[in-house]
Amino acid sequence: MQAASQNLPPIRNLTSIPANMDEGSVLHHMSDALHQSFYRVLTLLVAVLPGILAFIVALLVFSFIGMVVSFVLRRCLTWLKFDQRLAKKRGSDWAPTGSPTEIVARFSFWACVFLGLMIGVSAFDTSYATGTALPISLLPYFTHAVGAALLLVAGILIARFLARSVLISAVNAQLQYARILSLGVKWLVVVLTAAMVLDHLEVGGDIVELAFGILFGGIVLTLALAVGLGSRDLVSRSLESHVEHSGEHVHIPDDGSGEAKSIRHF
Amino acid sequence: MTTTNPIPGQSTLAPPPAAQLLVLASVAALEELETILAGLAETFPPESVIVAAQNENAASLRTPLRVVPVAQPGGTRRLTPGDYVNACDIAREHDLRAVVMLGPGADSLRRPALRGLAGAILNASTDLAMPLYALPPNTGLINSAILYPLTRALFAARARFPLALDLAFSMRMAERLAAAAGKVAGADPDDAILWPVNEAVAAGFSVDEIDAGPREIPQPAESDINAILAFVTGSLFSDIEAKAPVWQRPRRPPALRRTSAPSSPAGNEADVAHMVEGFRLANANLQEIWSLVLPPHTLVMLKRFSAVEPAAFRMPENLWARIVFDFLIAYHLRTINRGHLLGALIPLYLGWVAGHINVTASGTAPERHIEGVASAFEAEKPYLVARWRWPDRFNA
Repeated sequence: MQAASQNLPPIRNLTSIPANMDEGSVLHHMSDALHQSFYRVLTLLVAVLPGILAFIVALLVFSFIGMVVSFVLRRCLTWLKFDQRLAKKRGSDWAPTGSPTEIVARFSFWACVFLGLMIGVSAFDTSYATGTALPISLLPYFTHAVGAALLLVAGILIARFLARSVLISAVNAQLQYARILSLGVKWLVVVLTAAMVLDHLEVGGDIVELAFGILFGGIVLTLALAVGLGSRDLVSRSLESHVEHSGEHVHIPDDGSGEAKSIRHF
Repeated sequence: MTTTNPIPGQSTLAPPPAAQLLVLASVAALEELETILAGLAETFPPESVIVAAQNENAASLRTPLRVVPVAQPGGTRRLTPGDYVNACDIAREHDLRAVVMLGPGADSLRRPALRGLAGAILNASTDLAMPLYALPPNTGLINSAILYPLTRALFAARARFPLALDLAFSMRMAERLAAAAGKVAGADPDDAILWPVNEAVAAGFSVDEIDAGPREIPQPAESDINAILAFVTGSLFSDIEAKAPVWQRPRRPPALRRTSAPSSPAGNEADVAHMVEGFRLANANLQEIWSLVLPPHTLVMLKRFSAVEPAAFRMPENLWARIVFDFLIAYHLRTINRGHLLGALIPLYLGWVAGHINVTASGTAPERHIEGVASAFEAEKPYLVARWRWPDRFNA
């Protein structure tokens, strides 16, 4: 019995290691796999690195060119008294930080930066396309991310602008729920923006659409309930007083000393 | 040797006097124009006046005056930049010395007012004559709260109604106004306001004020206070911004106006409680926006006043002056969107109106209170100049 057990091969994990391999060959295979993966990543980096460097160099060079162009333009326009000449033609309703000279100088600078950005991205794209055939999805995703960031910024700015507009209009209409209304509009736009951003990034898929529909509908319903039910009396009073005030009229007495029955702003 | 006159009787006749005065009547209704023409015919020698009427049927009216039809503006109820250009062109064409412009509702003007306006230009060395209307209390409150005090404090000109519907000016002033109208009029010429007093001061011309008595003020096309305040105040702020080098120079304040006999105070019938409620609501909700425009101590004072009972509500004159100056600076610096800025000013203005009604209800003559407000604007002018030059000094 003991002799029989001594003749049996040692117990191995048959799922991970082939029967004909010893421990040394497993390590060798692991090392090979690691080397191959490391080589692939290095190859990718080597392929992409020139593109990244070209991108940075293009951006820096064109930023520097933009600074020079902006400086020269600012000097030239100041020397030509561009602001004064323009003010003579169409009035001088410019903010101090936004004089025509300043705007032209800034525009030229940012145009150069944008040009550098375009050239850099183009160089990056070229080096990526010719460098390797490795399946990476970094560049398309990066461009989507930039688009999504721009969408987010625009959405937040629009939300803030609309929220302020609604708040001021509601306060001037003397609606007690002005703040709620303003917040509602703000969140409507923010939710819409968030949904657009996620859709642009292709994150979430149908879940985002569903969640957006629920949230958007929920906010609209909340606002409708707040305005329609919660403040019904207030709205009717506001509307009545608005009608009374818009119909204001003044009686002009002959001697100019009589009393006015109502006020008149203009 | 004696000479004989071949046509007896004609040598003794003087040549017909040349016309000296142009009256541009910006009225649409024919009956209104008829009344104005009758008044002018009674006030001036017919041969000395040329009337430019913005009415296509004006030629059909029977009048001893010479009537010239001119293009009708787009139905606005005030003088537009186009009116000033028209007036200048006609006056230049006929080689006239003075122009009187009459706005809508001018048929309610009395004869002495017409005579006074024209006489100030023809007989005195005045370049711009502005009317001083006798309006009932609580009328033209935007003018009393903002337009008049700002114009008086910044341009040191005595003009109780800087945006009057009628005015008279000399030829050189007409040229100046026409040039300014060419700059102001943008895409829609009817959608712009010209500020004659500011133009006159900027040009170094003399300005006088003529008692014009009562006058009917027509209802503006837009009755919404939000739209009117934003439009008129925004226009004045823009003009002040464009003329910053002019008003920053130190000027001697105009002579004190002789306040007429105190008019009977307006009854507290207007909805003061309603306006104070609006002010409180704004104080609770617009802090975020006001804090971008107003310094902290002003916000603290506004908070304190919002707790006062409506009947005792007052807006101190110097506080109101600083508020308007702060809004003017924010308008200049574009701290926030200009539409939002002027919208945020409305509840504060309503607070001032509520305070004004309370003050007049307590026995103070409205004109005395308004003069007090204008004096406060003059006293606070250094604050405006300092912040205009150094905007970062928020708590000056």
